[in-house]
Amino acid sequence: MKAIETKALTKKYKEKTAVNALDIAVEEGELFALLGVNGAGKTTTIRMLSCLSAPTSGEASVLGHNVASEKSAVKEIIGISPQDTAVAENLTVRENLEFMAKVHSADKTKNAERVEKMIELFGMSEVVNSRAKTLSGGWKRKVSIAMALISEPKVLFLDEPTLGLDVLARRELWKVIRQLKGKITIILTTHYMEEAEELSDRIAIMINGKVAAIGTLPEIEAEAGAQGLENAFVAIAERGVN
Amino acid sequence: MNRILAFSSRNIKELLRDPLSYIFCLGFPIIMLIIMTVVDQSIPRESGMTVFHINNLCGGIAMFGQTFVMLFTALTVSKDRAGSFLVRMYATPMTSGDFTLGYIIPMLIISGLQLAITFCASLIISLITGIELSIGGMLLAFIVLIPSAVMFIGFGMLFGTLFGEKSAPGLCSIIISLGSFLGSVFFDAENTGGVMLTICKCLPFFYCTKSARSAISLNLGVEEFVIPLLIVCGSAIVITSLAMAVFSTKMKADLS
Repeated sequence: MKAIETKALTKKYKEKTAVNALDIAVEEGELFALLGVNGAGKTTTIRMLSCLSAPTSGEASVLGHNVASEKSAVKEIIGISPQDTAVAENLTVRENLEFMAKVHSADKTKNAERVEKMIELFGMSEVVNSRAKTLSGGWKRKVSIAMALISEPKVLFLDEPTLGLDVLARRELWKVIRQLKGKITIILTTHYMEEAEELSDRIAIMINGKVAAIGTLPEIEAEAGAQGLENAFVAIAERGVN
Repeated sequence: MNRILAFSSRNIKELLRDPLSYIFCLGFPIIMLIIMTVVDQSIPRESGMTVFHINNLCGGIAMFGQTFVMLFTALTVSKDRAGSFLVRMYATPMTSGDFTLGYIIPMLIISGLQLAITFCASLIISLITGIELSIGGMLLAFIVLIPSAVMFIGFGMLFGTLFGEKSAPGLCSIIISLGSFLGSVFFDAENTGGVMLTICKCLPFFYCTKSARSAISLNLGVEEFVIPLLIVCGSAIVITSLAMAVFSTKMKADLS
């Protein structure tokens, strides 16, 4: 079974088509990057796949569950870390994790274990009792991703996880994402070429709501006839515009 | 139920860690009680003005304090809606009912704390001024003011859902002003009579104050207590149901 499958998935906002007949298939355990400039349709795609926005037409499923007709089933198996850091500012790191764990499960023992697991995985013991509002941008993103993972989702959506972070914080977050690779399916949106290049198994380049190229890095380079993701991206983008 | 309790717990922690909650929700009623008692002491006895006597004042101030709980409800909801926190929560199995109850329960707890503080301060003032206050009456008023608290929380949710972080507090301040002036907190509307009394009777705030004052004085007649309380209960049901429906509609619109 595919982790994610979309068939002619489309989202229109009045006159504007944000996502145009998207066809993608993501395997279980894969780290799949949606790469594109601002307004390419990456976030809209993630919103539709995580039941935050209804498709205008077409179909999408997460592990076989339709995102339009089986929302409850989809919400049980996904985790999302939105573009803006979505944490409860006046709660401590531990309280944020406990809160999200309780939203997903009533099992106190299991929740306590999950919280400890996340603290260890993200190396958060030094900030665990600090309120979220006092944390740096990098730490907040880590907390946000840990909150998305606390329910042990089968599919994790990371929307621009390193946007606005300095190079050290970005590298630190990459380390965490690498640790998750292969364990769960990850859909990552980014407009940083090196991020997609560094982390993903496969990449889809989105331009004006459409997939302009899809495949592994060597496949995309071959298709574009250019070396390196940035050059390939520019070649594909120019071809897409022309 | 688990999700409602988790969200309520988050909301109450957010509120109790905001210093403004203490100033407005818990401190403000005490300050108002003290100021109005000083005003009462300054009014010559011969004037026969009793609206600022603590036995009349405490019910009115208790209701007035609830208008600030409304303000905080509106701020909490509008702030959550403005950021991406609710976006994250929308992707969880939480329903609109879980969200609305998760906002209402902590605000009711804050409102209960506020009432307890207001009545304790009133009791102390009554001992100082020598104006008798019935403890039984205050306990009854505590219960009578719960529907009123629900109504104000409903108003807060409604404004917080419909308007942004900047406009929701502005709209709440209109209700705060209406609540204090037309709720007969700072003047005796019934003795004033005329158009003023008619206007006061058109809004639920007057009945909140009237039922609370009647409970405090253990004046439990139909006209003085039962009818005003029924009007407040009806208003609470209408406003809160409307707020819940609007939140649910907005949530569906956000997810469309």
